[in-house]
Amino acid sequence: MKPIPDLTEAIKTGNRALATEATQRELDAGNSPQEILAALVAGMDDVGRRFKANEIFVPEVLIAARAMKEAMAILEPKLVEAGYEPLATAVIGTVQGDLHDIGKNLVAMMWKGAGFNVIDVGTNVPPERFVEAAKEHSAQVIGLSALLTTTMPAMKQTVDAVNAAELNGVKVVIGGAPITQSFADEIGADGFAPDAASAVDRVRDLVGV
Amino acid sequence: MNGKTIVFDALQGKQTPRPAWLPFVGVHGGQLIDAAADRYLQSPDLIVQGLTRAQELYRPDALPIVFDLQLEAEVLGCALQWADKTPPSVVTHPMSAMEGEGRTLDDLPAFSTDAGRFPIVWDAANRMRRGVGDDTALYGLVTGPFTLTSHLMGNDLFLQMFDDPMKVEQTVRFCAGVAKQVAGAYLDHGADVIAVVDPMTSQISPEHFEQFVRPAVNDVFDFVRGRDGFSSLFVCGDATRNLEVMANTHCDNVSIDEQIDLTTIRNLTVPRGKSFGGNLKLTVVLLMGDADDARRDTLRCLDAAGDAGFILAPGCDLPYDVKPENLQAVAQLVHDPYQRDVARTLSAKADDDFADIALPDYDASSPVIVDVITLDSASCAPCQYMVAAANAARDRLGEECPVEVREHKITTREGVGVMSRLGVAALPTICVDGQVAFSSIIPQPQMLCDTIVERRQAKGFAVS
Repeated sequence: MKPIPDLTEAIKTGNRALATEATQRELDAGNSPQEILAALVAGMDDVGRRFKANEIFVPEVLIAARAMKEAMAILEPKLVEAGYEPLATAVIGTVQGDLHDIGKNLVAMMWKGAGFNVIDVGTNVPPERFVEAAKEHSAQVIGLSALLTTTMPAMKQTVDAVNAAELNGVKVVIGGAPITQSFADEIGADGFAPDAASAVDRVRDLVGV
Repeated sequence: MNGKTIVFDALQGKQTPRPAWLPFVGVHGGQLIDAAADRYLQSPDLIVQGLTRAQELYRPDALPIVFDLQLEAEVLGCALQWADKTPPSVVTHPMSAMEGEGRTLDDLPAFSTDAGRFPIVWDAANRMRRGVGDDTALYGLVTGPFTLTSHLMGNDLFLQMFDDPMKVEQTVRFCAGVAKQVAGAYLDHGADVIAVVDPMTSQISPEHFEQFVRPAVNDVFDFVRGRDGFSSLFVCGDATRNLEVMANTHCDNVSIDEQIDLTTIRNLTVPRGKSFGGNLKLTVVLLMGDADDARRDTLRCLDAAGDAGFILAPGCDLPYDVKPENLQAVAQLVHDPYQRDVARTLSAKADDDFADIALPDYDASSPVIVDVITLDSASCAPCQYMVAAANAARDRLGEECPVEVREHKITTREGVGVMSRLGVAALPTICVDGQVAFSSIIPQPQMLCDTIVERRQAKGFAVS
């Protein structure tokens, strides 16, 4: 893959004008959509790394994700034309009883930035809705978010519902302010991520991409 | 020296004879009186009942009147969704263009401290002031300007910080004006301390804090100082990166959550003439742990904080379901230096399983064995009485029913081992043939004799 430094930099700094301009420029120059995607993902990976290291914060991640999203709007039709398959499909939502969406949105954006197909089912999502969405989109991953300690039991119910539905090989990843690895182990989730950037690593590990 | 004086001294960075203790009883007050969170936060009677119960159970030096960061937002037109066990959530953001109606500041309903649920708060404040206000410091919690801005603008806020910083600055300034009105009303209704609770600031960089938050919160702190009140900047969540800029604001006190290193915040506040507080672990300890976990965590905080300028408090709003016995365990350590010594001895030995400490074969022993577990009967009066009670029973029963009394001091490893293996949780305790019989309360002589005689007969030995 040939690096496209200014495009990667545009994502890192959340410069949406440059991100869309450089994406269009590379397409016009006949560069392959996969190569352009790789440059965008490299930018988001750097954002994730700095977020995890506490070097940047939520606002910086959100403007980077917005730049990524606008570049992807141009790139996506070309990826489809080129027969590109997303690395993984993931369903994400905040569990039943919980209306908080900042953490869930961050993870969704980071996953999109990593080249996953992301189905966002929103907040206050009942267990069966996660199962339905995973079936409908043939997802490999379900991501559950919770901010409130009172909604942690809803996470367990969702994991139980996924297990009961015997979805072939679907992995459940959980996260949110009160969530810990030991809670993930206790309820039988496949993975836990302490932050949005780690959520990307966890899916890469679990799905093997 | 009453609790309120201890809090005032701690707030001013002074040494206190014991730790100042501030349990952030919000919706948790509902649990104490069996009322759901939605009813609790909409009734001055229930709030007063819940806080009064908390006052009895937890013996606090200070209490918040309510812990509800949605009061201001509700008046300004944000819709709320209520729940049984949590404060309400803001579900609409009127100034958000992406998620709401995209209103401007001028379009919002006029703010007033007589609107929405504020009259409930003032009623509860007046009554708490009359009820416990002479001895207990009352905290008025106001929604921090940045958090209120995020209620109004939703996720737009984070993008607008880059796209339209002027608009964000203007909105945060407006929210500081709201906070001043609420702070003023709290002070009018008897609050002693104004805590500006601004959890959303944990999500932004120190540079953004300086740009957007510092001028706004300083405006509030200066106002509170002008009214002779104390002020605290209270940030729930992991504010590690912002501790220094927080300590640089004009507040008297910085209150932090459980993720923060106490030594770090102490070193940032005390040299600046400020106090600090918080840090007890809400979820893993107070909500999910047991009383021993609560004791250990209390000691961790007290040891790291030292005895000057510290207010012991949970890191944030106490969850509804926190176990009252855990907070009572904290209160016990706060009020009783002897209990702190006991807990310290126990926590130091917590990792040992004492497999090598042998217990006698109680069933085979002809004399009934009375184990008295004490801190040290030479220095602890209740322990001395407990040992004396056991010896008196032995002497009274005499030859008819032989008794062997053994004292185990937990100042030794052997003592802690016996305590742990017998499953003893409180000191002093009397065990009769390995079974906990009397904990903390010294038994009447006859009662102890009866227990011993019963036990000897149960083992198949005659009592003449």
